[in-house]
Amino acid sequence: MPTISLTQSLLISLIQCVLVVVFIFVVVPLTVFAERKVLGYLQQRLGSTRIAGSHTGLTGVLNRGMWTLGKVPVFSYFRGLPGLVGDVLKMLLKEDIVPAKADKFVFWIAPAISFVASVVVFATISFVPGTFFTFPHWVPVLGGLPVTGGIADVNVGLLWILGMATVGVYGIVLAGWASNSKYPLLGGLRSAAQMVSYEVPLTLSLLVPVLISGSLKFSEMSKAMALDVPIWAVFPQLFGFLIYLTCGFAETNRVPFDMPEAENELVAGFHTEYSGMKFGFFYLAEYVNMTVVSAMAAGFFLGGSWLLPFGLQGVINPYLTWLPSWLLTLLCEPHAAFFALKIIFLLFVFIWVRGTIPRYRYDQVMAVAWKYLIPLTLVNLVLAAAVRLAM
Amino acid sequence: MEQLEYLFSTLLTKHVFMLFGTLAVLGAGAMIFSKNAVHSVIGFLLAMLSIAGAYLCLRAEFLAMAQILVYAGGIVVLFLFVVMLVEMTKYKERKIFQTQTPLALVVVLISAVTFLGVFLKTIFGKSAEAALTLKPELTADGFNAATHNVQAVSRGLFAEYLLPFEILSVILLVALVGAVVLAKSERG
Repeated sequence: MPTISLTQSLLISLIQCVLVVVFIFVVVPLTVFAERKVLGYLQQRLGSTRIAGSHTGLTGVLNRGMWTLGKVPVFSYFRGLPGLVGDVLKMLLKEDIVPAKADKFVFWIAPAISFVASVVVFATISFVPGTFFTFPHWVPVLGGLPVTGGIADVNVGLLWILGMATVGVYGIVLAGWASNSKYPLLGGLRSAAQMVSYEVPLTLSLLVPVLISGSLKFSEMSKAMALDVPIWAVFPQLFGFLIYLTCGFAETNRVPFDMPEAENELVAGFHTEYSGMKFGFFYLAEYVNMTVVSAMAAGFFLGGSWLLPFGLQGVINPYLTWLPSWLLTLLCEPHAAFFALKIIFLLFVFIWVRGTIPRYRYDQVMAVAWKYLIPLTLVNLVLAAAVRLAM
Repeated sequence: MEQLEYLFSTLLTKHVFMLFGTLAVLGAGAMIFSKNAVHSVIGFLLAMLSIAGAYLCLRAEFLAMAQILVYAGGIVVLFLFVVMLVEMTKYKERKIFQTQTPLALVVVLISAVTFLGVFLKTIFGKSAEAALTLKPELTADGFNAATHNVQAVSRGLFAEYLLPFEILSVILLVALVGAVVLAKSERG
């Protein structure tokens, strides 16, 4: 292990930040696209179909052939993908309207708070324990130095994530207030009450991994939850995972709980008055938040960068030693790709649920949090404590 | 390379702390002097977050995160709620606050003198020989307080100071029950 000077470590952190931002800006637009298509297929329609593929040429032959077979053309799965570029351009170029009686400063800063609070959470998320990759020796300043799997895998990582998630509430509340209009204000207040309420069961459900792993560091927790738990710890983890996911849906204001933007009641909720890139930041923040919730669920409950979820990896690892070494490395060693795949699967679950479950009424949303989820998480916590005692 | 190294090390050890300190003072100033109550809350939020940053510079990670979670995440949100719901624009409501001015002045003067005394003592007084540590023998066995911040705190809370901790939580529970009783009696 070569010694790293301060300049080099700063440079490496910078590179990690760039990598994370690239990851976000690859995953988020693709999630938006997947949402259109998957929702479309869930509702037995094609989703976005403009651009890509035609009736002539190679794609045309395939498309027409599949139509005659009575199937949806294979290229229609990717239709609408170039439309994403159009979406981004539209957001960037659209006129940025500020209502005359809006509070200009707060109206301007609210989307920024929302977006920044959702992105900085990635600082403590570690994609793979230990080294992600090592620079080859010909690289000028950083030759031979390792790049770790997380930007700042600090010993209070979980608290940072939860703290920044709470700061994200300000973006929504302030946006609702600054618009100086009825519906955004109602939407902002609703979502603030909802997010503050759901923070309680969310934190309580994340206490199970903390309890079992005895740490608040993301990589240590993810490792302990994947490898060092007995098989009967599956039950508290499974309950914890389902509760966490429910609260995660509520925290990101996704469909069964999308109170702030209940269209039939509140126009578009807190971002009714927003347009252009200011709206774009809220839109981005929602999808980045989804990615964060998925990353945490993947890291703490689904085995992180190991293959198997719910701590089963540590249970089966001793039985796999007879496998050939390349298969053993693939199945038993951590890999960043597994983590990314789990995130993508959970993002799909977000869309899946959106296509399946109708929206709750507002009083039902609050009742679910306070009357059902909090007692359930407390029971689950006791269960996890029993497991911890027996470990 | 050497110069860069020196630059970064001084930047990180001294100037970042100064930056957070200045931001905290600016936020506090914005909180007091802005005419609009919501702007005050944003100033307060800035002050709280920068204090958390200052704690981070002092290598108290747990304290910094608790600051963000409790103050920035909980208390300031409550403030924002109240401020948004109670609009302070009407003449009558403004008058209520003006009647308190002489009382407030007296309180501020007294507390300013006290704080000034404390500050003078800490800044210009004799510095302590050893750094102030709370029960060093607790953290000595097993964990290093710098890397196991949380463990050290929890050890203190649940091993050494268990009784005061539990009494505090009972007091909080009493406050909660009191709030419920007040809300109930008002309704019925």
